Amino acid sequence: MSTLTLRQEPPERLDFLHVTPLSLSRLSEAEAARLPVGTSRRGLTLGDCFTIALDKSEDLVIEGGSSRLDRVGASLDGGSIRVVGDVGQRLGAGMKNGSVTVTGSAGPFAGSGATGGTITIAGDAGDHAGGAVYAAKAGLDGATLVIKGTAGDHLGDRMRRGLILVGTAGAHAGSRMIAGTIAAGSLGDHPGFGMRRGTILASATGALTPSFVETGTHDLVFLRLLARSLRPLSPAHADLAAGALTRYSGDLATLGKGELWVSAA
Amino acid sequence: MAAWVKGGATDADAAVDAAATLLAAARTPIVAGLCAELSAVRAAYHLADAIGASVDPVAGPNLYAELGVLSRTGAMLTTPAETTGRADAVLIVGNAPWERPIVQEIAESAPTRGRAAGAERTLLSLGGPRNGATRHVAYPAEAGGLAVSVAHLRAYLKGHLAGETAYGDLARRLAAAQYGVVLYDAAELGELGVEMLQGMVKDLNEVTRFFTLPVSDPYQGRALLQLAAWTTGQAPRVGFGRHVPEHDPWRFDSARQIAAGEADAVLWLASLPAPRPDWLGTLPSIAIVGEGSPEATGDAAEIVIAVGVPGESAGGSLWNDRRATITYAPPTGQPAELTAAGVLAAIQDRLVQKKAASC
Repeated sequence: MSTLTLRQEPPERLDFLHVTPLSLSRLSEAEAARLPVGTSRRGLTLGDCFTIALDKSEDLVIEGGSSRLDRVGASLDGGSIRVVGDVGQRLGAGMKNGSVTVTGSAGPFAGSGATGGTITIAGDAGDHAGGAVYAAKAGLDGATLVIKGTAGDHLGDRMRRGLILVGTAGAHAGSRMIAGTIAAGSLGDHPGFGMRRGTILASATGALTPSFVETGTHDLVFLRLLARSLRPLSPAHADLAAGALTRYSGDLATLGKGELWVSAA
Repeated sequence: MAAWVKGGATDADAAVDAAATLLAAARTPIVAGLCAELSAVRAAYHLADAIGASVDPVAGPNLYAELGVLSRTGAMLTTPAETTGRADAVLIVGNAPWERPIVQEIAESAPTRGRAAGAERTLLSLGGPRNGATRHVAYPAEAGGLAVSVAHLRAYLKGHLAGETAYGDLARRLAAAQYGVVLYDAAELGELGVEMLQGMVKDLNEVTRFFTLPVSDPYQGRALLQLAAWTTGQAPRVGFGRHVPEHDPWRFDSARQIAAGEADAVLWLASLPAPRPDWLGTLPSIAIVGEGSPEATGDAAEIVIAVGVPGESAGGSLWNDRRATITYAPPTGQPAELTAAGVLAAIQDRLVQKKAASC
């Protein structure tokens, strides 16, 4: 297991796009120390900020996180990254395979454009978790994003595929959703605003957009399958899917093939 | 008086030297505001490139509410001249557009060309002020806000909702128009609302001709956007820290950067009136502001330099709202001693001299 230990809070935002288990496995510690990670003219390198211990394994641990560590696990295509602490924006963005785990909280756009693998955030996530970055066609695109704490607004904005599990989230969760599944303890106002397809499951929501209409309570095979698929990741969310639910159809302002399931209890 | 350093009046040369010294020592400087004539904005981008700064215009919220949608889904747009000449139905969304002269112009004219020529023009309002000053048919906004209101209206237009309701009536009026235009303010409507509105107008084009006319921001954003595109190939919020213009609207949001303690110096450029940010003066800062403005005092920032105001005490290329393009505005009064572009170029020259001297 390779380890990077943060010496102190970075003086500027750091970009970890090229710091992955695969890239580090090809480098000596001296070569890794020269990897550019700074974002200012000062040209900070990995060795300027971290103590480096490499063993060419597929597992990387970052000891001591910071909200200034951007793009941790971005474009990851195998192996695992575990961050003991916080991370900045775009955690696991564009990731294809592998796993990224954060023991603290993440900044905005976690899992944006991720097509595979699993991203787990033990703390909170910022706005647009699983959402699309500026000008991107899609947010989460096939990966699994688990947020154990609270997510900000616009969770899963323009999400296209995959699964998001979250404790609670802010307003506009699942906005402009193309497809995929979001399961949440509770959501803020206007979930699914502008969604075309996809499934949102929540125990409670804030105000609903008037372009969502209630279509009754149903006992569908799909819900049992959903509960079964959620159980290994979160028994609480699985129990929610297995309980009595009211279905809302929307967003009727767009294609209207999305569905919002809210606990009927 | 044209310049101040740490509250004391001084000459422009000393202020330029102090500004260059401040910026040379910064790790992550910001160039913000950019509410100015194009030559000054261009000089600001060049200076930012030279010092590795990030750039964030005061027009950012308005521009990005529009740009995100434009880049993802496109937009159906028209001009003020086409609106006054052709539209038989104009829907005004929100409060902000009512403050613009274009509303009165639309209200006092009728379509004279195109398929609606000779028809009566109907002015419709969704979530407007309902002040009665201009004759129009008003529809109240939903409690959830303008974006939710537009979504509700669009559901009626698509036929997914039906009934004798206010929004059902508005949907019928819009679909019956021969040439319709929606007037809105992107910052007021928000990105989600703009995307919903543009989608609604595209839906309307299945049955008739319909376009949008977003009112421009008052801080030269439209002109700056074009300059940013031809200078960096990117939208305005870029950073030059890694020697190439990196576009990241979240990372280079100046208010966020300063709140997070990421910035250590800021240059505020506003030769035209712009709201003074709360953070100006809370970190080492340089303010290049229009002479006679409330900010042209020694306490606005560590270094303050007063420059000519384009269209008044300086000439400059500015956004022309009526013509929807950039035009030159000559000075109407006595030209000022300093121009913003000149001051910025002088700061950059001084930085080059300092760097050469240190080698």
